[in-house]
Amino acid sequence: MSVPALELIGLKKSFGKAEIIRGIDLSIGKAERHAIIGPNGAGKSTLFNLITARFPPTAGTVKLHGEDLAGLQPFQINRKGLSRSFQITNIFPAMTVFENVRCALLWAQGYKYSFWNLVNRSRDLTEGAEKILDQINLLERRDLPAGTLSYAEQRALEIGITIAGGADVIMLDEPTAGMSHSETDYITDLIMKVTEGKTLVMVEHDMGLWPCGPDFRPGLRRDHRHWRAR
Amino acid sequence: MELILVNLIDGLVTGLLLFMLSAGLTLIFSMMGVLNFAHASFYMLGAYFAYSISLYTGFWMGLLIAPLIVGVLGAGVERYGLRRVHQYGHVPELIFTFGLALLIEELVQFIWGKNQMPYAIPDVLNFTAFAIAGNSIPAYKIFMIFISVAIFIGLLYILTKTRVGMIIQAALSYPRTVEALGHNVPLIFMGVFGVGTALAGVAGVIAGPVLGTFPGMAFVLGSIVFVTIVIGGLGSLWGALAASLLIGWITTFAKSYNIEMSDILNGIGVVTPADLDDNIFRDLWTVTSPQIADILPYILMVLILIFRPAGLFGKRHT
Amino acid sequence: MSNTELPKGARPEEQITTDPSRAAQRMRAGSMTLTMLPWIVAAILLAMLPYIFTSNSALTIMNQMWITVVFALAYNMLLGQGGMLSFGHAVYAGVGGFACMHIMNMSDFFASFPLPVLPVFGGLFGMGLALIVGSFSTRNAGTVFAMISLGVGELIAACSVIIVAFFGGEEGISGDRTYAMPFFGNEFLQQINVYYLTAFWMLLSAGLMYLWSRTPVGRMANAVRDNPERAEFLGYSARWVRFFSFVASGFFAGVSGALFAINYEILTEENLNTASSGVILLVTFLGGVGFFFGPIIGAIVFTLVQTVLSLQTELWAFYAGTLFVLTVMFFPGGLAGLLMMHVPAFRLGKAGGLIVPYLKTLLPGAIGVLAVCGLVEMVFHVRHASTGDHEMTLFWTTFDSHAILPWVIFIGVAVIGLGIARTTAPALRDAWNEANTAGGSA
Repeated sequence: MSVPALELIGLKKSFGKAEIIRGIDLSIGKAERHAIIGPNGAGKSTLFNLITARFPPTAGTVKLHGEDLAGLQPFQINRKGLSRSFQITNIFPAMTVFENVRCALLWAQGYKYSFWNLVNRSRDLTEGAEKILDQINLLERRDLPAGTLSYAEQRALEIGITIAGGADVIMLDEPTAGMSHSETDYITDLIMKVTEGKTLVMVEHDMGLWPCGPDFRPGLRRDHRHWRAR
Repeated sequence: MELILVNLIDGLVTGLLLFMLSAGLTLIFSMMGVLNFAHASFYMLGAYFAYSISLYTGFWMGLLIAPLIVGVLGAGVERYGLRRVHQYGHVPELIFTFGLALLIEELVQFIWGKNQMPYAIPDVLNFTAFAIAGNSIPAYKIFMIFISVAIFIGLLYILTKTRVGMIIQAALSYPRTVEALGHNVPLIFMGVFGVGTALAGVAGVIAGPVLGTFPGMAFVLGSIVFVTIVIGGLGSLWGALAASLLIGWITTFAKSYNIEMSDILNGIGVVTPADLDDNIFRDLWTVTSPQIADILPYILMVLILIFRPAGLFGKRHT
Repeated sequence: MSNTELPKGARPEEQITTDPSRAAQRMRAGSMTLTMLPWIVAAILLAMLPYIFTSNSALTIMNQMWITVVFALAYNMLLGQGGMLSFGHAVYAGVGGFACMHIMNMSDFFASFPLPVLPVFGGLFGMGLALIVGSFSTRNAGTVFAMISLGVGELIAACSVIIVAFFGGEEGISGDRTYAMPFFGNEFLQQINVYYLTAFWMLLSAGLMYLWSRTPVGRMANAVRDNPERAEFLGYSARWVRFFSFVASGFFAGVSGALFAINYEILTEENLNTASSGVILLVTFLGGVGFFFGPIIGAIVFTLVQTVLSLQTELWAFYAGTLFVLTVMFFPGGLAGLLMMHVPAFRLGKAGGLIVPYLKTLLPGAIGVLAVCGLVEMVFHVRHASTGDHEMTLFWTTFDSHAILPWVIFIGVAVIGLGIARTTAPALRDAWNEANTAGGSA
């Protein structure tokens, strides 16, 4: 059997005396798309933040392509091919839509901290960013400041930023939170489209509006504050 | 031994004076998340107002009225200045208070001129309280210690034992929740800002006669006060107290004992180079502790920020 | 400028000084295309200016202006582009300058060294110091960064009286630029030669700093300023991005210090202290931190105002302070922000409709403000002139400051001027809204 894209082994997290996560074992294969479902306060976001090293776990390990992520900084995890979105829209509001996406491409295209390249001279960057904008239907909004977009558009932009770097493991934190029916339809279609062939782990508290296709299966179930794989 | 005791008293006076400023500053910081650069300017205003009032009614009325005026001014600054700038974010807030500090200094020069004011210790307190081995301790120093300690105890009592104190403490951490409970949080903020600046005013009134009442007095003390609350841990009242006393004693002792750098270096086994005059480090060798007494707090702060960014007592990590 | 409502999810506390006015932002994106035209115009203007303003004092003022431009642009690399507020940036310029003075005083080495290369060394020394300080200070932005910058600034300024060998104590260090190796026969004896050297370095530094803002690390500086956490999840370490900005800013600050050394041939503690750091913050903020050209405007306007006002009145620092506080409160976008606010009206072709309302409001307003300044001057004169000296000169008129009539006139003018401005303000607001609305009757 090949190495799973993402593997959690005995993951635990407590804040003070409150145990939020009591040992999760989970293995997600390449190009599988999973959703973690549960009501508010079930610990979904905590789990999410543990995987992406926003805070350290109390015990257990997270492995990305078989590699332990313990002690890595968020940017190092990103460079290993894991990209995430946030529950609260997290974009660069003062920059244009185009620049938002272009910033997401810089590291992936190998520009690193270079100060000898000019970003607007690079055709790869411009074309790459425009391709992403096209995918998330924001090409006409290209030169608007991201902060002036509508809520659904900002969420779409955030998904665009998340996938732009070409990471093969995508994690989305409640991508449809606070959306109307039509907006949710719009975003779910978008997510299905842009994550084709990638590993997707998603947190949602209600999957009622999702077009649960055959490859969408509930990943975890909450059982007396205890998470376990099904 | 006697000298140590005298220095302990002197350092205590400096430390408590610093604490009167840093207590207000740290309260304001934990409330609004912004360092008030103009805090020491209110201290200066306190001294100047008290001087002007004392010309007509004597020292004691100045001690009573000047802090009140300063407090009202401070509340006005919060209401009409800071609250407006708050919407632009933290950095503009910091820049605003910085600009305000410049402006107040210019304003003081405009009204009172550039010279030092002849603001003096009142006659009733102008005597020697007691002497330690020939070093006389003026009664005014004892008076300063007394006032500062009284204010500290009062502050502690209000914050921990009264209803208002409870609301303030709650508003510090959860302003939204406190507002939802029906308390007027903007009013609380304005009040705390006013009281904080009034405290700085008190410090100015009692420090003016000993440290001098001149347009640069805010600048001299201002940066040290920031250093104090950064070392103590931003937002921590106990940290402010500890750091104030620490800085008070460090600077006092460094000034009264003339230790040369070469003594220290020789002491740890480094030999003084023979051709010291041509050595590029000659100034380092001849540095004495009184020379660097005033920059010791800065060195301490930079070290603290590198090794313990939250400060001595700080919890919050900005 | 009206504050636009923050969009859902935007994090206001991360937003730096720039008023996120939609129009202005759109314009900034539009100017992304690298065009050479402004630079060529600037070069021609710089070359022509000495022919228009020929006096030595004009050259001195312009040199001071260009030095301030370089320093302000370097400062804005931190404040505007990186979101880092420094209260001690003068030390990087100062240390670069002091290092250059020492190079000038190494007579053997300096004699084989063309003067126009000296700013490179100033830059390298400024950068060296920034490398050391930045290694620990850029871990955080915000308050911690500001406090470290203040502490380090005070520390180095205080060292200037202790480490006499490098900083020269109270007298500072002086040198003579003409000992350098002649540069194509030029010994930089005259002010005009120094002017061209300064102008050349200003243009070069400004160009390089502009290009820097278009590089990957320059773009990421904006991203880290707006939202460090998101930037980290894009593969960039916020700390390293800040560090690179800081070091680059230190380099150009050092260049400005070197230019100062070449111009004035003396550096003192004043080049290092917090007051100098405060002035550069003031200049940059007045000009506007949201746009690349903001600090340039700020430096030019500030130097002019400083020169003109400080000759006219003792109170110029008071006016500058007032202006600064008012700018922070009401126009956080600075002068550049005010200018760029008008771009949409121009785009819509409706800017012409603003001229008359502007005149109606701003002219009486300006007269009213001048009258208030006059009152301030009179109060100052009454309080601080030597006893018996009742005569003062203001606006080219000499009068008795203790007489009633001048007070009545000034108070009258102030009340009438500000009153008219107040009554015409609603009309201006309407005109403004109209000029910024597409379509309708124009």
